[in-house]
Amino acid sequence: MRDINSGKELVGEISSFLKNYDFEIIATENKSELTRFAKSYIHQNVAETNFDLIVKVINEDRISVVEMNSIDNLTVLKNIEKAIEIAKISPKLDYHYRLVPPQTYKLKCKFSQKTAQFTPLGRAQLISQLIKEINQSKYDAAGAFTTEVNTLLVANSKGVFAFDRGTKVDFNCVVAKDNSTAYASFIDSDINNFNINKITDELLETALKNVGQIEIDPGVYTVILSPEAVANILDCTGYTAFNGKLIVEGKSFISANRRKKIFPEIITILDNPLDEFTMPMPFDFVGYPRKKIYLIKDGVIVDGVYDHLTALKYNLKCTANTLPPESASMGALPFNLVMKEGDNSFEEMISRTKKGIYISRLHYVNVLNPMSVQLTGMTRDGTFLIEDGKMIRAIKNMRFNTSVIDMLKAVDMISKERQTKSGLVGPTVAPYLRTNNFTFSSKTNF
Amino acid sequence: MKEILKDILGYLDTKVNYADLRFVQTEEECIQAENGILSSYNISTNRGVGIRVLANGAWGFASSNNLDKTSLFETANKALDIAQASALTKKEEIKLASEDKYIANFVTPIAKDPFQISPLEKIELLAKATKVMLKDKVKKSEGSLNFYKTHKIFLSNEGSEIEQTIFESGGGITAYAIGEGDFQKRSYPSSFGGDYSTSGYEFIEEMKLLENAERVAEEANHLLVAPSSPAGIMDIVLGGSQLALQVHESCGHPVELDRVLGKEISYAGGSFLSLDKLNNFTYGSPEVTIMADATVSGGLGTFGYDDEGVPATKTYLVNKGKFVGYLMSREDAFKLGLKSNGTARAENWNRIPLVRMTNINLLPGNLELDELIGDIMEGLYLDYNKSWSIDDKRLNFQFGTEVAREINNGKLGRFYKNAIYQGITPDFWYSCDGITQKKYWKVWGVPNCGKGQPSQVMRVGHGTSPARFRKVKVGASK
Repeated sequence: MRDINSGKELVGEISSFLKNYDFEIIATENKSELTRFAKSYIHQNVAETNFDLIVKVINEDRISVVEMNSIDNLTVLKNIEKAIEIAKISPKLDYHYRLVPPQTYKLKCKFSQKTAQFTPLGRAQLISQLIKEINQSKYDAAGAFTTEVNTLLVANSKGVFAFDRGTKVDFNCVVAKDNSTAYASFIDSDINNFNINKITDELLETALKNVGQIEIDPGVYTVILSPEAVANILDCTGYTAFNGKLIVEGKSFISANRRKKIFPEIITILDNPLDEFTMPMPFDFVGYPRKKIYLIKDGVIVDGVYDHLTALKYNLKCTANTLPPESASMGALPFNLVMKEGDNSFEEMISRTKKGIYISRLHYVNVLNPMSVQLTGMTRDGTFLIEDGKMIRAIKNMRFNTSVIDMLKAVDMISKERQTKSGLVGPTVAPYLRTNNFTFSSKTNF
Repeated sequence: MKEILKDILGYLDTKVNYADLRFVQTEEECIQAENGILSSYNISTNRGVGIRVLANGAWGFASSNNLDKTSLFETANKALDIAQASALTKKEEIKLASEDKYIANFVTPIAKDPFQISPLEKIELLAKATKVMLKDKVKKSEGSLNFYKTHKIFLSNEGSEIEQTIFESGGGITAYAIGEGDFQKRSYPSSFGGDYSTSGYEFIEEMKLLENAERVAEEANHLLVAPSSPAGIMDIVLGGSQLALQVHESCGHPVELDRVLGKEISYAGGSFLSLDKLNNFTYGSPEVTIMADATVSGGLGTFGYDDEGVPATKTYLVNKGKFVGYLMSREDAFKLGLKSNGTARAENWNRIPLVRMTNINLLPGNLELDELIGDIMEGLYLDYNKSWSIDDKRLNFQFGTEVAREINNGKLGRFYKNAIYQGITPDFWYSCDGITQKKYWKVWGVPNCGKGQPSQVMRVGHGTSPARFRKVKVGASK
């Protein structure tokens, strides 16, 4: 898909093969390059060009889906014939499948020409610069640096035609010397916003503090979570609690708690493609235009997000959160999770903490109990004891088993500053957050 | 295709220290049903070429779905450019452990080609099984079948020419009992999508999904009204399905040599099994012997050759409790002065081979299941994974299971829900004092092992039979 016209040609070709059937199309073109480094040298360096075409064939509520990555006429025809054969014999759905009517789209993906044209040499030069700085402090660096261009086309036989192209820069790095480690990450659409010096300084500042870690006992603590850690928790909450399919099936805590004020008024969580810090997708995978959806507003639980299939089946309104067919059974996910900022500076949050723990990063977070959104995971790459308003010592990594509901109920400070972090679909925008209810269940000796 | 690949290899040969080309073509079917009704029938085809070069002592890799000759030459040149960029940070020349050249063809032995079974037969199986489960509080049931056929051509400038056709089949069912602000799930034959094997449709028939559907639903209903698991330190028996994931997380990942060498540290983490521990560390009790075996019949990690052209092997990782081996690629094995044990695998044509699990098997012991349970006064039988998490060195783990059964005076008792157990890897394996015998042993297929950036999902296997662990910290999620 060179441009919007080649997208239209593709839709025309599929349409000519499927004259007697309704259909939906998702076509993606991806040019992705990634440079990976460890022990301060580049050990993996890869580039990929790929295309993916998904065609959903609809035969009077009988549905089949075919996916292919080459679009020569023979391949497309052969695959579509298979899909028609299955759509003829499949039993009908237990609801009426309606196609999305034509829509208009105001949002655009963020695109940077410089990012699209960034080279392996450009990435290697920036990595080399970082490595030299980090090595001077006797640390090793490991991480990954991705630049990519993604083109997405969503169309159907009722006239939906949505086409856009975006770019992404995704960088993450751990620096390490023995047990002293630190982590930093960056995600944006524009390589011009990538500041390797700032990241280097951030990494070294944390790493040099993260030494001589002491053990502390498990228990319930006041913690300040970094935007990285908050984003990780929000992502898990997104698929566990805010998934509309789970809500209607009675498998989410939101099922019985809509419109209840459970959290402090400073808690507002949205799926918001309009947020200035996010990288929006202008439409979902059936072509609904994306919009701002409140999940929790001023402490009140609003609702979750709904995909097209769940909305049709249960006579609800789709919130433009439909996933591609291979993930459709999951339900819906927020595409652009955002937590609203607070009034505090990070420094203020630390200085106003009598005793607590600062968490830089979480590791391997997973759901323990979906109904209470109890999560488990580990801390890593910098966990610090706060006493009398100061980060006084690094502490060894801890396991937490904590309910997000209990954690959010006890939030009393949120930072003004927010950062953009990798998310499950689009990025997640998160602030620093202080809670007085965070449960650590066990410790490690490192 | 092979002739074009040979032309490209000829072009690259004078420009590189090493080059390999992989053409991969996949065919997939994914069928899902909910509550007795087909919810999706997805078929897909995918093909492309990945070109990996070691030039000027540094790696470059480029891949494309565009298979015309001109495009593939451009892809080859891109790989060379990338290798040149990689060399900018080079500290030493990357070298590979030596390997013989192979001209070979491997095909998974199957009885019934799953792609020749009628779609209607597959749909009806899932529709019936998910309908049968809708009993009492089971308001939601799910079932899925998945089939993969992968054709690979591997060529290297060392002279290897290997073709493989791998068939994989799998599936499972899950019942959700929902009510009183809670829900509990039970899966069969394993959780998170069921069980998988390098087999044909005969594997699906042998699972007997329909015959087990009612029992699975009953267990979900039992769990919904069951008390929460007790907390404390007690003896536990892990069933085979949960033990497969225990082996996966606490042995399979930490023995990956690339993790040990720090190559995954920024993302998935490192490993506590540092180089000084090889042949010099007590990983578990003398009962514990763990092997990597890519040759075992039907294992989801079974193949003829890995994606560096190294033959499938069977190798000790832990022998009677002693840590004795890593999973190694050619590059990483060279650093230890060893040969690769054939465990470098790539998800598809657009990914490079990484050190991956094959079938990581805990060898069976000599106990009957009755004996294993019979020697516990007060404890828990835990099976079917519900939650997993482990730290970045693979030491502090915690698992939740769908099922917990009380063990009282050597007998299985009532159901408990929301059970979790926690431990530190070597302490946990050292507490293993009994493993059931061969007749209880089977290779479980885990289809969703994630690793690497860009992410690669690998299908791997784990042979296990129920085993006993003493004085383990248990509790319940809240």
